Amino acid sequence: MNRTRFNGKNLMNLCLIGVSTGVIISAIKWPLKTALFPLVISISVLLMTTAELLMSLFGKEEGAKKGAAIDFKFSEDIDKTIVLRRTLTIFSWIVGFFFLIVIFGFSIGVALFVFLYLKIQGREKWGISIIMTFASWFFFWGLFIWLLNTPMMEGWLFGWLRAIGIE
Amino acid sequence: METMFDAFIGGLLINLQLRPFMFMLIGCAIGFWVGILPGLGGSTTLALMLPFIYKMTPQEAFPFLLGMHSVCATTGDITSVLFGIPGEATTVATIVDGYPMAKKGEAGRALGAVLMSSLIGALFGACYLAFTIPIVRPLVLAFGSPEMFMLIILGLTCISTLSGHGKRGLLLGMMAGGFGLLCSLVGQDRQAGILRFTFGQLYLWNGLSMVPVMVGLFAIPEIVDLAVRGTAIAGNVSFGKLGKGVREGIIDTFRHFWLTVRCSLLGSLIGTLPGLGGGVAQWVAYAHATQSAKNDEERAGFGKGDIRGVLGPGAANNSKEGAGLIPTVAFGIPAGAGMAILMGAFFLLGLVPGPDMLTKHLTLTYSMVWTIVLANVIVVVVCLLFINHLAKLTTIRGNLMIPVILLLCFVGAYCSDNHIGDLIVLLIFGGIGYFMVRFRWPRPPFILGFILGKLAETYLYSSSTRYGAAWLYRPKVIILILIAAGFALYPFIQKRFRKEDLGEPDKI
Repeated sequence: MNRTRFNGKNLMNLCLIGVSTGVIISAIKWPLKTALFPLVISISVLLMTTAELLMSLFGKEEGAKKGAAIDFKFSEDIDKTIVLRRTLTIFSWIVGFFFLIVIFGFSIGVALFVFLYLKIQGREKWGISIIMTFASWFFFWGLFIWLLNTPMMEGWLFGWLRAIGIE
Repeated sequence: METMFDAFIGGLLINLQLRPFMFMLIGCAIGFWVGILPGLGGSTTLALMLPFIYKMTPQEAFPFLLGMHSVCATTGDITSVLFGIPGEATTVATIVDGYPMAKKGEAGRALGAVLMSSLIGALFGACYLAFTIPIVRPLVLAFGSPEMFMLIILGLTCISTLSGHGKRGLLLGMMAGGFGLLCSLVGQDRQAGILRFTFGQLYLWNGLSMVPVMVGLFAIPEIVDLAVRGTAIAGNVSFGKLGKGVREGIIDTFRHFWLTVRCSLLGSLIGTLPGLGGGVAQWVAYAHATQSAKNDEERAGFGKGDIRGVLGPGAANNSKEGAGLIPTVAFGIPAGAGMAILMGAFFLLGLVPGPDMLTKHLTLTYSMVWTIVLANVIVVVVCLLFINHLAKLTTIRGNLMIPVILLLCFVGAYCSDNHIGDLIVLLIFGGIGYFMVRFRWPRPPFILGFILGKLAETYLYSSSTRYGAAWLYRPKVIILILIAAGFALYPFIQKRFRKEDLGEPDKI
């Protein structure tokens, strides 16, 4: 006798069902030549995802375990609470890096992120933090700005400063 | 025949002249770093280098450009193995088994294997280019839109079947592939110019950029894992004598020599077909490598650091380089983005790709073959000399590596379109990648679907417009459908055979 199970995997299935349904609803309004491919794909995905969801909810648990992907796997020998805490921390740093770039631009954001990460998260010594920050920034600036002349984002801060008359 | 042989030797002599050789070395040096750095693609750099060839002769320009382009995939594998970040778009598949090997302290072995298989792949591709130019024309011309569409479906079915275990694995693979195809729908459609899922954003008109999607999907989950473990990439595993690992990796290449050759052949065949390129070749080769597992237990080792998972993509993504030159040089049909840019170089130098390249400029064509051979030999030897230093990067503390890897991810993604949207796409697909890994959804079919989506749509549209439903009855299409069905039924057939082998019908 199998119990009905609902977990994160099923939530992902539900999301994909939502996405494919959304594509079908949108595609109906388009002319056939635009809608043909999206309809073929989204209907197939909807059918497959629904089947997977039903099997996952009501089918045998062993089947789901056997069907695991041949792909990279997260480390399993660490306590779940630590995993959750560290995962949230690193995601916060990743999102934080994004905001540093958006606000300060690449040139300052890169240096700021590397330094803050090493000092706060890595608890590295001042010397290592400063050397690594300088090396990373020099690599970034030397290669992407000086050598390749890549136009990098300036940062909103400078726009705000200009708006209030500070150049 | 004598002319062909003369041209063959003449091609080598061109490359051994001082100036062409020096330009090739400069190209190799640039390609080395471009391959290692994520986000800086071989095609982009090829485009950046075009202005430098104005004052060069064709004999100098092609060693420079091809020397650079052909080694990118070789060194791109190094980044994939050591850091779990694709150095090049064509080296993503190497991560799947190469990075787990680095985590187990087998970075040297993985690097030895990937470099040697890359070299074999490149040599195979060059030989393939040299010998198949006269006979490949009918193959390329025989594949119309219906066959190309079915070839894409076959590729997707193949990778979906082999990227998961059993029937449920197949279903998950197909779903992931379908999801990739759905993501490729974003942007202006090519048929009627209608905007699809752009949410009023100009950035999305051209669709989702490949680099941020791939970096997010593959690098972010690896970075999260590195942070969660709190150790170096290679964990607390001691390397011991790395040179021994490198030798082991090289020996592995010859232990699985026929697998390497078969994957090189697959890479060359896919490379010959315009539009498919290395993105597809690496995954098909990976799928073929997983197929070489004799049983479920052995197959379960893929994704956890099986050397065959490194050898297959390593060989294929290099062998497609030489093969990709065939349609470009012989028919003026570029096999991929890189080759399209290279075709621009032909015109800049006053050459027209086509029959002339096989008659009047045959020596130059063969010099391209030799460039691929020499450039790869030089770069692989250099890499093997410095491999100890490269592999030791995986023993650096995670806390020191993470900000640098994140910096490469963000800058690499941003360089795709130089737009803040690239960073948002990176974050979104980083999240999707994390959940895909967490809930054991295979990422390879997703990437394949995403890469091929636009092309598949164009082929489907052309086929149905030109032939109606009749394209489904074309003999070559039927053959491809049957092969795809064979792959889809593979988990069922395999199970059936195993039951018969063991004579225990109910226990498996």
